Amino acid sequence: MDSLAWLEQTDLSTWLRESDWGFPIMLCFHAVGMGLVVGISLMFSARVLGYAKAFPLSAFDRLFTIAWVGFAINAISGTLLFIGEPRRLIQTPAFLIKLALIVCAGFSLWFLMGTLYGMENPADGAPRPPHEPVVSPRAKIAAIIPIVFWVGAIVTGRLIGYTIAPPPE
Amino acid sequence: MTEAEILHWIKETALGAAVRDSTWLFWAGQSLHFVGLSMLLGGMLIVDLRLLGFLQSVPMRAALAFLPLAVAGFLINLATGIEFFTMDPFMYWPNPAFRMKMVLILLAGLNAIVFTVLEYRHALTLGSGQNVSTLGRVSAGLSLGLWLGVLLLGRLLPSFEGAKGLF
Repeated sequence: MDSLAWLEQTDLSTWLRESDWGFPIMLCFHAVGMGLVVGISLMFSARVLGYAKAFPLSAFDRLFTIAWVGFAINAISGTLLFIGEPRRLIQTPAFLIKLALIVCAGFSLWFLMGTLYGMENPADGAPRPPHEPVVSPRAKIAAIIPIVFWVGAIVTGRLIGYTIAPPPE
Repeated sequence: MTEAEILHWIKETALGAAVRDSTWLFWAGQSLHFVGLSMLLGGMLIVDLRLLGFLQSVPMRAALAFLPLAVAGFLINLATGIEFFTMDPFMYWPNPAFRMKMVLILLAGLNAIVFTVLEYRHALTLGSGQNVSTLGRVSAGLSLGLWLGVLLLGRLLPSFEGAKGLF
């Protein structure tokens, strides 16, 4: 907590907190990043669940690169948002839960990729999984999980503003 | 009816009153609004990127198949947007960021109509590696730019409360 109090004294933190445009600009970046990450993730889940079957799953490789850019935008803007009010946010459950849900969303996407592309080399030396995988029922169930976590992250994110801890003395 | 009378009528609808009286309806609406915008942006990103000539391995028809998901996102946002507006029309209506946001949405809709009328049927016939005309690409680029603008203006609404103009 002492280090967070020190952080709040820095010029950067003060500017973010007290300027007219500090938070709004960060929130703009954060909205764009969210649109990219959640948007592409939702479309991917839809495809795995059977929507637009003619769309090659491999084409999502490029789209996930864009999603990663969105994630980077949000990691940076999120860090800056945190730097603005660190002591209040660290004491706000909605904020901490949101971070946990984002980690869960990431893991669930990694798990989903595993169900599609396989993570082990076949023991019998068979060819590696094809570039265009077959979507198993297991993969379809796995595709639902990221949706739940991303929506959870959005909902708890919205809750931060309503439940943020009061300013420290 | 005067402008103020119309806004007052909207404010006094059952929906408006319900949202104002509720501890959670606005928050729930905001959450849905963000999900809707993600669907809209994600869907349009796929459609517009393919129209622009990226993702060449994708048959055009398959990319265009994501349009209904984008539209569904838009409809979610239209509904939640109405929810927000009825809650506090006197805040939204004069807000320059809100007005510009509505203008951009109308332009995006117009752009979509022009594309549908001029390019859509032909686009459906195109396979992977094939592309639409320059007009189609311009429309796709406009689409991405307009919706990005809508997103940013929406995020900036609170900053322009009480402001006379955007600049």
